[in-house]
Amino acid sequence: MILVAIILGCVVGIVVGNFAPIIPYTYSGYLAIAIVAALDSVFGGVASSLNKKFDMGVFLSGFFGNAILAILLTYLGQRLNVDIYLAAILVFVTRMFNNLGMIRRYYLEKFRERGRKRNSVSRNNTK
Amino acid sequence: MKKWKAALTLGIVCLILAIAISIQLKTIDDTNSTVSQTLTGNELRDQILKWKEKYDNSTTTLEQTERNLEETRLRSTLNDESAIAKEEEIKLDNTLLGLTDVIGNGIVISLKDNNTVKRANISPSDNIELYLVHAGDLVEVVNALRNAGAEAISINGQRITNFSAIYCAGNVVVVNGEKISSPVEIKAIGSPELLYGSLTIPGGYLELMSETGVMVEVKKVENIVINKYDGIISSQYMKSE
Repeated sequence: MILVAIILGCVVGIVVGNFAPIIPYTYSGYLAIAIVAALDSVFGGVASSLNKKFDMGVFLSGFFGNAILAILLTYLGQRLNVDIYLAAILVFVTRMFNNLGMIRRYYLEKFRERGRKRNSVSRNNTK
Repeated sequence: MKKWKAALTLGIVCLILAIAISIQLKTIDDTNSTVSQTLTGNELRDQILKWKEKYDNSTTTLEQTERNLEETRLRSTLNDESAIAKEEEIKLDNTLLGLTDVIGNGIVISLKDNNTVKRANISPSDNIELYLVHAGDLVEVVNALRNAGAEAISINGQRITNFSAIYCAGNVVVVNGEKISSPVEIKAIGSPELLYGSLTIPGGYLELMSETGVMVEVKKVENIVINKYDGIISSQYMKSE
């Protein structure tokens, strides 16, 4: 169900995005960091929904809040001449890997369980 | 029910994300920038792109402002007899200075480097430079055109004004500070017969050029459009007495 929604959203998004106007190059740096922040939120949302801990409020506020905060930090960094966006990318990508790891472990566990069940069934049959 | 909501939210969020990513990809494609391996290279490229964008924006603003100025001038002189005369005078002056697009009959000269010549098929004593179009050639042609009474001249879209310079910069020619190279197209507005006759005169410079090997073509053309000089003409040291 969730997988279907995600795939549908992505496909429609790509189609719509292809017809959208391009943005000035100056702002593309901000959009890039916002994309990384949003990707982090999405992976976080998927991971928490697998753990049955999905909270709509947390997810939505994280999605928009993180993106906006990342843009503001990047802007601040440019003003102060410090590459703050590097720190933001580090944090987001680390969390992304953590969440991906969680998702991977969940499906691996499921896969193994299924294998175990099948094994026990076939053993019962041969007895 | 709750799962439904979660799926819907995730779907919408993914939609926003996918739109953002494809816009970003398109933007990066448009600037056709590649990520270079060094940080300084990246930063320099970044700065160039930003300056280019600023330049483009300024040019658009300038054009807009010029149009506004023109409109304001027209409106303010609408009911005033002397102002109308002045307006006409300003228009004429701008035309003579090369600050307006003009149209008229004249000739088009095209000069091309002779691309059939290779080092292999000419004799060693031959000078290969004679087969190329040089800055000096353009100066000679412009002089000949001026002499024959050309009223407006442009070289590859660069209008020749009172302040234009034509000079050699290695393997390109610089006109009005812009680089041009072969094939060169020189447009001139004036009496077509006079221009054509005096440019193709036996023993003239164009004949000399075509004899030494440059590909020369002269033709009379009606309704040539010559673009305005799009730089800024300003004076700092001269004052009218």
